[in-house]
Formats: sequence, structure tokens, C-alpha cells
Amino acid sequence: MNEQTKVKINQLSTGVPGLDEILGGGLPEFSFNIIAGAPGCGKTTLAHQFIFANATVERPALYFTVMGEPALKMLRYQQQFTFFDAAKLNNAVRFVNLSQDLVERGLQGVLEEISKQVEAANPSIVVVDSFRTVLRSEMHEGKDLAVQTFVQQLALLLTSWEATTFLIGEYSEPEVRDNPVFTVADGLFWLFQQVDRNSVVRKMQVMKLRGQASVPGLHTFRITAAGLQAFSRTLGLLGQRKTFGSVKRLSMGIPALDEMMGGGVPEGDSLLIAGSSGTGKSLMATQFLAAGIRAGEPGIAAVFEERPSEYTARASEFGLDLQTPLAEGRLEVIYLRPLDLSVDEMMQEILDAVKRTGAKRLVIDSLAGFEMALAPAFRADFRESLYRMIFALTAIGITILSTLEMPETFTELPFSSYSISFLTDDIIRMRYVEIDGQLSQIMMVVKMRRGAHSRDIRQYQITTDGIVIGERFKNYVDLITGIPQPLSVLRAEETLLNRKA
Amino acid sequence: MTRSADTPTTRALARRLLAYEAAEAGTAKADTQAVCRVCDKLRRPLTTLAGAAGFRSLLARALSLAKQESPLLGAWEVKPDGSLQGLNGEAAQPGAVLIAQLIGLMITFIGESLTLRLLHDVWLDLPDSEVKFERNESK
Repeated sequence: MNEQTKVKINQLSTGVPGLDEILGGGLPEFSFNIIAGAPGCGKTTLAHQFIFANATVERPALYFTVMGEPALKMLRYQQQFTFFDAAKLNNAVRFVNLSQDLVERGLQGVLEEISKQVEAANPSIVVVDSFRTVLRSEMHEGKDLAVQTFVQQLALLLTSWEATTFLIGEYSEPEVRDNPVFTVADGLFWLFQQVDRNSVVRKMQVMKLRGQASVPGLHTFRITAAGLQAFSRTLGLLGQRKTFGSVKRLSMGIPALDEMMGGGVPEGDSLLIAGSSGTGKSLMATQFLAAGIRAGEPGIAAVFEERPSEYTARASEFGLDLQTPLAEGRLEVIYLRPLDLSVDEMMQEILDAVKRTGAKRLVIDSLAGFEMALAPAFRADFRESLYRMIFALTAIGITILSTLEMPETFTELPFSSYSISFLTDDIIRMRYVEIDGQLSQIMMVVKMRRGAHSRDIRQYQITTDGIVIGERFKNYVDLITGIPQPLSVLRAEETLLNRKA
Repeated sequence: MTRSADTPTTRALARRLLAYEAAEAGTAKADTQAVCRVCDKLRRPLTTLAGAAGFRSLLARALSLAKQESPLLGAWEVKPDGSLQGLNGEAAQPGAVLIAQLIGLMITFIGESLTLRLLHDVWLDLPDSEVKFERNESK
């Protein structure tokens, strides 16, 4: 069917930040939906958020309560949320108690009362909470057909009256197979609470949504004083990859390093700085941000191991003024350490900061701190989450610098303990080496996906002016093992061996 | 016993509602009828919010609290259908105590703002100034 002849389905905003994006634009108008999940997972709050966002006096929301939590208690708790609008109560949002109808007249009584109320109020939204209670009263042997008929009639009634409907129930997943209501429903939203060690993570899944493409998978959500906030797995960024006509190089703020990198880091790249503790990874990241500020490119620092004030204070010790751009809104320092964070929330924080500042550069300091801040349930998927995050952010033109602490080993040179080198476009490795009985520092550009780079292993020092890169170590071999050998010694040994031969 | 939500302001509001209903009733037993009329008018919104059994429970709880203060309520009872019985003799003073306790319970559960909104919806023809808490009343 072409665009002109097919029916246009209006989409209603859910009032839940992030959820419209997950649903594919909003909730289809006049749809017949189920919100399912265990007690305490946010079903009622989700429904309330929707009705307060959409109900009007002309087209009100009818909220039918049955047996479970009475409206009196709902109002007591729901008014604590900022979305609750007392002015809408009893005009745009109306509660109806069906408990007595169910007890005295069964399903037929419930259907009659809902019909009566719907015809009188002409609602745009109808909620039945808890619908499972309604059906459970009749779900026993020999009553299957009656239940099925009831669900069918209710769906027909509410759709005919142009109402968008939510049936709320404490269903368990095995019920999806047998319960007729799941067949009739246009939309099925399942809310979960996952407990992993001591942390709880809330997730939702759009298991079914007729008429439009929703984002598949489990999406994290939080319940705060503002109600639910959902975090789409993609945050709407897939398919938006920014293309660059020519590769612009961004300065690292260290001229010799820019030279080693063939002119700087390519815009939109993901750069990994790997090294052991004290090698200057965070300083390099700070210099990268400061260089961006100087070049008129706002930046964001996502830090997990120090507070924003400590971060800017440390930068000032190296002559880098981050306090001024921070005050002027050209820099944001995001400090997150809640220990039950999801990558999606982190991404949302960063995206919000990008919108506020117009940031071009992002520093994640460090990946280990980031991983620790995540709820245990998310740590298992850290690599996959990191991939999604890096892909999504670089797609909108953000250049990302991540730091990664590596255990120092003097026998090999691993690039990362996460095996995440494939996620990054460019890698710089920093490490300690023993030279002439002293601990020195070396760095090398290991990988530059989009261009040639220096193969030199350069020594560097951390000074009050930041990182100062010195010359290439020319007279040593095995530098990357951390215990190099002077070339002169090797040559002397070779000479000795040749003589013996 | 005075509960946190049972204040001079709820007492004053209860008296205003009873006075209004007594004037509307205009019979010999106007005070008694006023108590019944106020309870009946509160029945609808409270049944909507808490169910019929919920309304009865709230009224019974309010009566229990009110009895601790007013011996005149001794014979008053809440019937299974949620109506009052045993209202003999003086009703104005004990009635005000009962209604104040009921309003106090509503405030405890859903707060002052929503309670006043519900009362406004019930007593639409009562001037706004009558259905409010007098903040400047002495406590």
C-alpha cells in the first residue's frame, strides 16, 4: 500500500524520557496495551506518567482500579512524583473503583461498568489496574471461553471508543503463552528488576508493538522523583554516522605527539591511551581537552576517580586553565560513581552534555573506573556496551580519548586487558623502562587506523608544563619489554661469538 | 488524642460543612441530618478512591478516633453498608469531631491539597472561601 492510501497512526508521547525513542516515535493512538512485570517494577508509575502527560478535560483518562492497590494509596504515593498534576485530578484524570462490580457481578459486571463509564466520559486513555486480578477471578476450569470473550469485548469496546488502553498486571513470563489477553494486545511492555550481587537494575522490553518498529532488546530505566526515565540501547544514534569530507586532525596539545600521529588525532576517532599507573595518561587526556578548548572545540571529561574540582585543580598544576571554560560552559566535567550505573545512562549524560556544550572532544578517564561504576549486571557486557557507546558517539562526530590502566609487565607489551583494541581507531601506549639503573618513561603510537604514524619509541618526561617528549631511544633494543639492552653490549657479545666461531 | 492531621483548621472546616448541610436540610433534626449528609457526600469520592469497604473502614476509623474525644459519640456506629446509626441527641459538636477526623484521615493519606480538591468537587455550590483551611485561625 502506498503512502497516500495507508492509514496514518498517530503516536502519543509517553511522557517518559527516552521511551518514545524506544517505541519508535511514541505509543500508537488507540492501541490496546499491557504493562506487565513483578510487583515494584514501576508499572503503575509508568501508566500514571502517561496519563498525566496526555489526559485533558475534554478527553480524560479513566483509571479503573480493581482489588489491588486502591486509588487512595496510589494518590498518596504518586503525588510525590513531579509529573503528578493535582489540578488534573477528577477532571482530566478520573479514578473508578471496580472491586465491588467484580465481586458482585463478575466479568460481565466489570464490562458493563467500564462501558458505562467510557460512554459517559469519552476518555482518550483507559487504564485497568490490575487487569490480572480481573481475569484471575474467572480463570479456572471451564471458564476459558468466558475470559476470552471478555477480553475480546473489552478490546473492541475501548478501541471503538478511540481509547488508548493499558492493562496492568503482575504477570509472569510463562503466562504469555496461555493468556488470551496477550494475543489480543497490540503492545506488550515488560518491566523487570534484576538483582545482581547487591545492586538492582531496572530494565524494560517492548515484547510486542503492532504497527511500528520499536527498538528491540532490554533497555535500562530508572525511577527518580521525576518518574521513569528510559535509556534506549541505541539512544537514537544508529544510522547517523557523520561523514567527513576530509580528515581533520585534532591537536593533542603536545606538538611532538601530534607529529608522531601524523598531524594529530583524526576527528571522530576513538583514541585509547594505555599505560600503567603514573605514566601520565590522565595528564595527556587533560592536555587533549585543553588543546581543544584553545582551538574553540568544547569538551567533556567523564571522570570516575576524582571530583570535578580536583580534576580542574590538578590541571592547573600543569598550567592548564580548565576552570574558566568550565565556568563558561565550554567544558563539562561529568563525575559519576553510583556503582549501579548503566552504560546507557552514562551515554545519556554525555549526550545531554554534548547538547549543552556543543562538545567535540570527550575524555573518559578511565575505562577501569567506568567499569567499576557500572552495576555488576552490566560489567559482563562491558565490551559490548563500550562498543555501542563508542560507535554512537563517534557517529555524531565526537572524538573520544579513553584512558586505560594496564598492569606493567616486563616480559610483554599487552595493549589492553579488555581486548578492546578493536574498538579503538588509534592506540598510544605509555610505559616504564629501566635505563641505566633508572626508571624512564617511553611512549609509542601503536595504531592509527586512518593514516600513517611514527614507529618511533620516544622517551618522555612529565614536567610542570605537561608531557615533554624527547628523542627516540636509538642505542637500546627490547625497549618494549621494559628491560632494554644497550646496543653496545649486544654488539660486543656478537663480536665475541663471531670470534669463538 | 489529637492526630497531626486533626487540627483546629480541620475542625473549622468540618463545622462549616455541617452548617451548610444543616441549612440545606432545614428540618427539626437538622444537626443529625447534616452529619449523615456530609458522610453520604464523602462516600462517593472515597468509595471511588478506596472502594466501598475502604470507605467503611475509613469512617469506622474516624469514629473510633472521635469517640476518644467525645463521649457523646458513644452510641454511634458504622453499619456494614457504610452508613451511620445511633445518632440520638446532640449531634452538632460530636458530628464536627467525627467529620474532622474523617477529613484528617484523608489529609493523612493524600495530603491537604488533594483533600481540598475532593471536597471542592463534592460541595460545588459551596463558596470557595468555605471549603478551605483558615490559616490564620488560632490553634
